[in-house]
Amino acid sequence: MIRILRTKRQALTPFLLLTPALLTMLFVVAVPLIFSFYTSMTGYRLTRPETIENFVWFRNYLRLFENSDFWAAFLRTIIFLAIALNVEFLLGLGIALLINKITWGQRTLRTIMMFPMMFSPILVGFQFKFIFNDNIGILNNALQSLGLSTQAIPWLVDANLAMFSIIFAEVWMSTSVFAILLLAGLFAMPRDPIEAARVDGCNSWQVFRHITLPFLMPFAFIAMTIRSLDVARAYDIVAVMTGGGPAGRTELLWTLIARVGYDNARMGQANAMAYVSTILSIAFTYYFYTKLVAARRYMGGAQ
Amino acid sequence: MKTALKNILAGAALPALLAGTAFAQDYGDFGGYTLRVKLIGGAQYEPLYATISEWEAATGARVEILSRKNHFELDREIKQDIAAGTLNWCVGSNHTSFAPQYGNIYADLNELIAPEVLAAFTPLLLEHSTVDGRLVQLPRHSDVSNLFYIKSLFEDAENQAAFAAEYGYDLSPPETWDQVRDQALFFANPPDFFGTQFVGKDEAITGRFYERLVSNGGAMFDADWNPTFNSAEGVAALQWFVDLYNAGAVPVGVPNYLWDDTGLGFASGTVALNLDWGGWSAFFNDPDNSAIAGDVGVLRAPMGDAGVRTGWSGSHSFSITTSCDNTAAAASFVTFLTDHDRQMIEARMGILPTRTAVWDDALAEFSASGNDFMVEVFSTFRTSMAEDAFTPPLIAEWIEVSNALWPRLQAAMVGDMSVQEALDAAAEEAREIMEEAGYL
Amino acid sequence: MSTIASRAQVRRRIRAVGLWLTTFLLMIIICLPGLWVVLSAFRPNREILAKPPIWVPEQLTLNNFGKIFGFGAEQVGIPVLAYFTNSMIIAMTSTVIALIIGVGGGYAFARFRFRFKNGLFLGLMLFRAVPGIALSLPIFILWSRLGLIDAQLGLIIVYVSLNVPFTIWLIDGFFRQIPISLSEAAQVDGCTRWQAFWRIEFPLARSGIAAAGVFAFLTSWNEYALASQLTRTTDSKTLPVGLMDFTAQFTIDWAGMSAMAVIIIVPALILTFLVQKHLISGLTFGGVKG
Repeated sequence: MIRILRTKRQALTPFLLLTPALLTMLFVVAVPLIFSFYTSMTGYRLTRPETIENFVWFRNYLRLFENSDFWAAFLRTIIFLAIALNVEFLLGLGIALLINKITWGQRTLRTIMMFPMMFSPILVGFQFKFIFNDNIGILNNALQSLGLSTQAIPWLVDANLAMFSIIFAEVWMSTSVFAILLLAGLFAMPRDPIEAARVDGCNSWQVFRHITLPFLMPFAFIAMTIRSLDVARAYDIVAVMTGGGPAGRTELLWTLIARVGYDNARMGQANAMAYVSTILSIAFTYYFYTKLVAARRYMGGAQ
Repeated sequence: MKTALKNILAGAALPALLAGTAFAQDYGDFGGYTLRVKLIGGAQYEPLYATISEWEAATGARVEILSRKNHFELDREIKQDIAAGTLNWCVGSNHTSFAPQYGNIYADLNELIAPEVLAAFTPLLLEHSTVDGRLVQLPRHSDVSNLFYIKSLFEDAENQAAFAAEYGYDLSPPETWDQVRDQALFFANPPDFFGTQFVGKDEAITGRFYERLVSNGGAMFDADWNPTFNSAEGVAALQWFVDLYNAGAVPVGVPNYLWDDTGLGFASGTVALNLDWGGWSAFFNDPDNSAIAGDVGVLRAPMGDAGVRTGWSGSHSFSITTSCDNTAAAASFVTFLTDHDRQMIEARMGILPTRTAVWDDALAEFSASGNDFMVEVFSTFRTSMAEDAFTPPLIAEWIEVSNALWPRLQAAMVGDMSVQEALDAAAEEAREIMEEAGYL
Repeated sequence: MSTIASRAQVRRRIRAVGLWLTTFLLMIIICLPGLWVVLSAFRPNREILAKPPIWVPEQLTLNNFGKIFGFGAEQVGIPVLAYFTNSMIIAMTSTVIALIIGVGGGYAFARFRFRFKNGLFLGLMLFRAVPGIALSLPIFILWSRLGLIDAQLGLIIVYVSLNVPFTIWLIDGFFRQIPISLSEAAQVDGCTRWQAFWRIEFPLARSGIAAAGVFAFLTSWNEYALASQLTRTTDSKTLPVGLMDFTAQFTIDWAGMSAMAVIIIVPALILTFLVQKHLISGLTFGGVKG
C-alpha cells in the first residue's frame, strides 16, 4: 500500500477534521459530566440549592453498595439490554435478508419496514400502555374475541409478562434500526465472492455463513454499539408503560435514577447512581467496539 | 343533556368576549409591566387562560406564559429552576400535595391579598393551602373523590334478590367500605366485568391507602412524626385492596393503573363502583365519551371501620414567588384567575370551585338548565368538600415517603410480601427519611 | 426445451410474487401496533376504548384533528403549527450540522493514521455512553446560564452532540468499504486529496451519509426526554413534547394524542421515503468493490 501522508501539514488534517466533533462533545457531555460528578459527592437536594456545598466524599457511592433495590435494577437493566439487543439483531437480520431478496416494490417495503422508527419513544410508551391494558387493551380483547384466552392477562403486572411487555415495546421500536443498517450492509456487499463461492459449489447456508455474515458483522456491531448507547431512550417507554412497577418488577436504572433525582429531589444520590450506570453503558459499548474491531480485522478491511 | 351543557358553554363564552369590563373588583393599573407566569397545561385547564386577555385589558399589563405543562413536568421544571437559580418569574401553578416541597420560594399570600378576598374562599381549603403558617397558594379549584356507580345494576330485581340471598342484607348503594367489598365481589365477573377498581401506583395508591387508613381511625405519623401506618388500621386498609385484587373483583392490571385508566375503565361500562374525582363527572355522563351516560349515580365516599368517610383531597392553586419584582400585579392576577366569574367557567365544566358563592351559583345554573345529574354531583361533592376533605401531611418529605410506600403496597397486592411485612418495610424506610430530614 | 424454460420462468415469477406477499404481510403484522394508532386518530374515544371492542370502525371522523387545530368550540386548540415549525427547524439544522461534522470525522477515522486514533474513537463512544438522565440537570443549569433554555439553538446543540458519534461511526464504516486505491489512483492522475475526496469518495459514501442523515433526523425529530426539560413555550417546544398536552393530571385524550401522532409520523415517513432513493445508490456502489 502506498503511504502518501508524511508531511506535517497532512498529519494535522485528521485532528482538524475531528475538532468540531470533539468540541461539541466536550461542551455538551464533558462539562456537564464534571459537574454531575462533583454533585455525586455531595448531599445535593434539588429543592435546597445550598446543599450543593455539603461535600460528603463517597458516601453516596457507599450507600449504593448496600442498596438492594439499586442492584436489582442494575441486574434487570443488563437483562433488558441483553435480550432486547439480541432479539433486535436476529429479527433485523431476518427482515433485511428477506427484503434484500425482493426486487420489485422494494422501496415501498423498506419504507414500511422503517415505519416503527417514525414513532417517538414517548408515543411508543403510550401506544403499548394502551395495547397491553388488561381490561380495555386491544391485545387482551383480541385474544378473548378469538377465544384464545378466557381471562384478562396482566401484561403489565405479572413479573415475567411485564418485563416481556417493555422489552417487546423496545424491540418493536428499534428492530428497524438493525434491519436498515444490515440492509445497507447487504447493499454494499460485493457480488463476486458470492458468485465465486456458488461456482465452487457452496450452498446458500454456506454462502451466508462464511461470506455474507462476516461481511455484515461490522454493520451489526455498529448497530449494536449505537443501540447500546441509545437504549437509554427506552426510559421514555418504561416510564410511561409501567413507571418501573409494579413492586419494582420493571425498575430499570433510568427510572430509578429519575425518581430519586427529580421526584425525591436527591440529586447527589441520583448522580452517584448515574455514574455507576455509566460504567454499565461503557462496558456494553466497549464490548461491542472490540467486536467491531475484530470483525473488521477478520474481513481484512482498512485499519 | 349534552346539548344543554354545550349551550351553557357557548353562553359563557359570548359575554366574556363582549365585555372586558365590569369586574366586581378593581384589578389595578400595571401599564407597561410584563408578568411572567408558569401555568399548568392540559385541556381542562385551558379555558380559564382564554380570559387572561381580559385582565390584560383591565390593567394594561401583559402576561407572558413561560411554560404550560402538565403537573408532573411543571414540578420538575420548578425544581430545576430552584437548582439553577432561575426563579425569574412571578406566578406559578401549584398543588396542595406538592407545595410543601418548594420550601420558601413562594410568598405568604396573607400579606399580598386583601382579607375580604380571602374571606370569600372555603375556609377549609385555605387551611389546606397553608404550609408552616404561611398561605403559599390561592386555591383555583379543588377535588375530592366520591363514589360513582352504575344505577341500573342496583335497580335490577334479580341482582337485589341474589345479593340479599348471598350476603344477608339488601343491595343498595354502599355506605361503608365493607359493603363496597361485598358488592364488588358480587358484581365481579372477570375478565368482562369488575366490581370496582383502584389506581395502583405512584402517589395515587399512596393517597388511596392513606384515606382508607384515616377512615379506619389510623394515621400516617404520630404526633412526633414516627411513621405509624403499619398499625392494625393500616393492615386492615391494605388488606381491603389485597383481598379485592386476589379475588379478581378489580381488573388484574390495577397495579399499573393511574387516573386515566380508572376513569376510562368506568366510562367503558365494565366497572360497577368507582371511587373517583369530581372532575370526571361530566365525562362519565357524556354520551360521546361514556357507555354509561344517563346511568351514573353518585354518593358520598363510604366510611371505614372508624365511621370516618374517606376524603383525600387536593387543590390546584396559584402561587407567587418571593423573588417576584411586582407582587402587586401578581396578586391582582391570581385574584383575577380565582375570582367568582373565572371560577364559574370551570364550575360549568364540572370542576369543583373554591369560593363558597360559586357553589351556590353553579348549582343554581345546573338546576335552571335541568341538568339533574350535575345538580346531584355538585350537591354531593359540596358536602364532602366541606365535611370529609383532608390533605396528606403537608411536609416537604411527603412525596419521598410516598415513593417509599407505594412499591410496598404493590408488593403486597401482587403477593411478593405479606401485608404486614410490606407496611413494616415501608415504615422502616419512611423512618429513615424522617430521621434524615431532622424530624426524629 | 422451451416449455421447460418457460415453466421454470413462471415458477420463478410465482415464487417472487409469493415472497413479496409474504414479506408484505409480515411487515404489516409488524406495523400493526402503529397502524392501530393511526386508525385511532380517526375514531372517537368512546369507540377506541369500548368493551366489548369495536373491531370494524363504525364512525370515522376528522374531529380529533379539528380539536387540535381549535376548530369547533369543544376544545382550545393546541399550537401544533408552532410545534411543527420548531421541530422542523431543530431537526433539520441539527441533522445538517451533525452530517457535516460526521463526514469530516468519519473520513479522518477511515483514511488517516494518527496518534490517539483508537483512543479518540473510543472516547467519542464513551462520551456518548453517558445516560441522558445523568446529563439532564447539568445541561439544564449550564444552558440556563447561557440563555439557551427555551431556545431552538439550545436543542440544536444538544442534538448535534447526540448525533455526531453516530454519524461518525456510520460514515466511517462506509468510507472503509471504499477501496483506498480509487482515491490513490485519482491522486496519481493529478487530483488533490480534497478533489479525490469530493469527486470519488464522497459520492460513493452517499448512501451511508443518507442513512446517517435519516437516523439523525429521526432521533432529533422524536427526542422527548431532553426536549421536555429544555423547552418551555411555543418558542421551542417540539412535537413530541406537545404530545403531553393531551395528558392532564387525570386524563389522557388518546384519540387526540393519536391524531397528533399522525401529524408527527407523516412528515418523517415522507422524508424517509424520499431519501430511500439515495440509499439505492448503495446498490451500485456495492458492485464497485469487487
